[in-house]
Amino acid sequence: MTAGRRPPRLLMKTLAVTFATVIALLVVVFVVVMLTVRRQVREAVTANLASSQRMFAALETRRQRELVAQAATVAESPTLKAALDTYQAEVRTISGAKKTQLLTTIDDELKKVAARIDSDALVVVDMRQTILASAGRLGNRWPVGRTVAFTANAEGNTFDGIARMGGEPFRTVAVPLEIEGTTIGTLYLATSLDQNYAEELQRLAGTRTAIVSDGLLVASTLSAEAARQFESLVAVAKPVDGTATLDGESHAFRRLVAVGDTVFYALGSIDETSRSATREAMSNLALIAVGAIALALIGSLWLARLLTGPIGRLSSSLAAMAASHDVTTPIAATGSSEEIDALTRTFNNLMASVAAAEAQTEAAYTGAIRALATALDARDPYTAGHSERVSVLSVAIGRTLALADDDLEVLRLGALLHDIGKIGVPDQVLMKPDRLTDAEYAIIKTHPVLGARILKSVPFLLRHIPIVELHHERPDGRGYPNGLRGDDIPLAARIVHVADAYDAMTSARAYRNARPSGDALRELWRCAGTEFHAEIVGALANALPGVTSDTGHVLAHA
Amino acid sequence: MRRTLATAGLLVALTVPAALRGQSPDTGSVAGKVTLTTKIRGAALPSTAYPTRAVGPSDAKPSPEMKNVVVYLNDVAFRGALPVRRAELRQEHEAFVPHVLTITRGSTVDFPNDDPIFHNVFSLSSAATFDLRRYPQGESRSFTFAKAGIVKVYCHIHSHMSATILVLDHPYFTVPGNDGLFEIPNVPPGKYTIVGWHERVGERTGTITVERGKATTINLSLPVEDSK
Repeated sequence: MTAGRRPPRLLMKTLAVTFATVIALLVVVFVVVMLTVRRQVREAVTANLASSQRMFAALETRRQRELVAQAATVAESPTLKAALDTYQAEVRTISGAKKTQLLTTIDDELKKVAARIDSDALVVVDMRQTILASAGRLGNRWPVGRTVAFTANAEGNTFDGIARMGGEPFRTVAVPLEIEGTTIGTLYLATSLDQNYAEELQRLAGTRTAIVSDGLLVASTLSAEAARQFESLVAVAKPVDGTATLDGESHAFRRLVAVGDTVFYALGSIDETSRSATREAMSNLALIAVGAIALALIGSLWLARLLTGPIGRLSSSLAAMAASHDVTTPIAATGSSEEIDALTRTFNNLMASVAAAEAQTEAAYTGAIRALATALDARDPYTAGHSERVSVLSVAIGRTLALADDDLEVLRLGALLHDIGKIGVPDQVLMKPDRLTDAEYAIIKTHPVLGARILKSVPFLLRHIPIVELHHERPDGRGYPNGLRGDDIPLAARIVHVADAYDAMTSARAYRNARPSGDALRELWRCAGTEFHAEIVGALANALPGVTSDTGHVLAHA
Repeated sequence: MRRTLATAGLLVALTVPAALRGQSPDTGSVAGKVTLTTKIRGAALPSTAYPTRAVGPSDAKPSPEMKNVVVYLNDVAFRGALPVRRAELRQEHEAFVPHVLTITRGSTVDFPNDDPIFHNVFSLSSAATFDLRRYPQGESRSFTFAKAGIVKVYCHIHSHMSATILVLDHPYFTVPGNDGLFEIPNVPPGKYTIVGWHERVGERTGTITVERGKATTINLSLPVEDSK
């Protein structure tokens, strides 16, 4: 039942239920995972920004210290200081080539070190903050003669600050130029807060960055639209940290460091991070789904086999029972499940009831037929008890011939009914004391066929019909109705033929007296081989003593 | 910064000549007192990264700030041979001593090295541009100043060392005593501008008239912190 042309419905149902459960489970897991991933990503981004800030603060402190150290080293240049000091001592009294020469000396000193210093501009100012010389990549943004506006960072290092030049903010480190404890000027190391700075910041902090100076966003590594939105968000409030939707994406941001009116922000896109995390979770989930579905498939098939196996076995037992018409042998319980065993038990009980009912019906039929046979015998006082006696004799002969119980049973009932066809023979023919005419004898000879026709309507008497129909056939072929020869005549019919003849001879008739058993046997022996089968006559001879003593009353007038 | 602040502290007081000291009858003299008035240290940016490398303050002899002041006359036409001398600017405890030296044009200055380390002397000033190379303890170099003016002198090895040499083309100058009192004798009669000079403040001037046989008195007030 588990395999075949049509897919088992039970299997399909099992699969459907299992798959529906697995898919519902996967959907629930998916939703939970997505929610969890998003929450965790938000926390991770925030934590990342916090750690970025700490790392950046440490890096920035070191970087500023290094810049100060570099600046201080430059500020110790004797040539630079001597030129500056001399220039300032003589500025009112000299002019022309000499003045230019001193300024050039300062300028050359700056240019010499500018190449080796990690900053965009190297600037020397006098005590009035007027630029005397500048060098470096962006040195030209600091023209000689301009005054520097320097805002030192209020918190912490007083050398760290923001200087504005031509509207552009510069992250600036300042060190004084001193001779003998007296300040003669200031040296500035300035780094432009431009795109390069923002990108370097991003590299250091590991997040997107934005630099907001005096309410304006001066540089960022955000997209243009996100940068614009972020600028309007932080321009007024200058928040320390928070979250914001920039250019349609959720961002977390945190202040890295604030120098004067300039604030450096680190930003992380929650959506961007969660996309990759979600992708990872999705691929894991897909793997789990494939595994779960495979497991469900195997589980379903196993479950289906578990269910359909015993049902299949029960079903094939029933099929075998139907084929053998054996309703009496109970089907063995499979022991695979309580339900299947209960079903088997119920079926066995049902079949037992059916068998009992069938036996009862058979008994009723037999009783009715026996009554019919008795009634038939009773029509003629001479033949009273004849059928009963033939039946007993036949069974005795059959036993002597070692027939099976089953065949003996058929023989017994068949012998009882062997003359049932005489029911259709008129009384005047049947009970005529005189010799019968040929026409009358012809009527008599129809009784085996008539009997067979009567019994055909009763299904369970099918095996008895040959006895009734053929009990007047002779081994020499001169019997009726078919004139069969020798071994073509069934054994049971031969037995009944001999028993019938014997009983007829040992019974009285209207036209003669009963003959003794010995005469009858002699007569039978005389006709053995022509009218009767010799081995049956022999069997009768062997059986008779037992029959006579056992059934004395039946054979009383023998 | 100090210089910028100093301009506000300009104060020159002129008083009546007081006493005449013993001098040649053809000349008069100028005397007076220099006062160092205010604290003028500006709001310089403090440096913590690289403190000025120097021999500890206990090693250096404290020099009164008054010793860095020079009083001299301007616009003096000196006739005759200018008296020259041989002066000394020592290098000890990573400092030039004295910090301010005034000489007449044509004088020669020796720069002996007293420190157990190499020193150097150079100048970028227009009055005298020179470099005396590096030399060790016990050696000395000298330079003759042929032009009047202010000469700033530095050491190329020790960037914090500096000194100022005032080269004048007349002998009418002096360094006040520790109490600020000064006197310039043998000044030809005439009308002069008297200058009180300090390297950080620059000049403070006053006008005086020197009469024969008389002593003219003038007090100069310089806004310099007295480090004493």
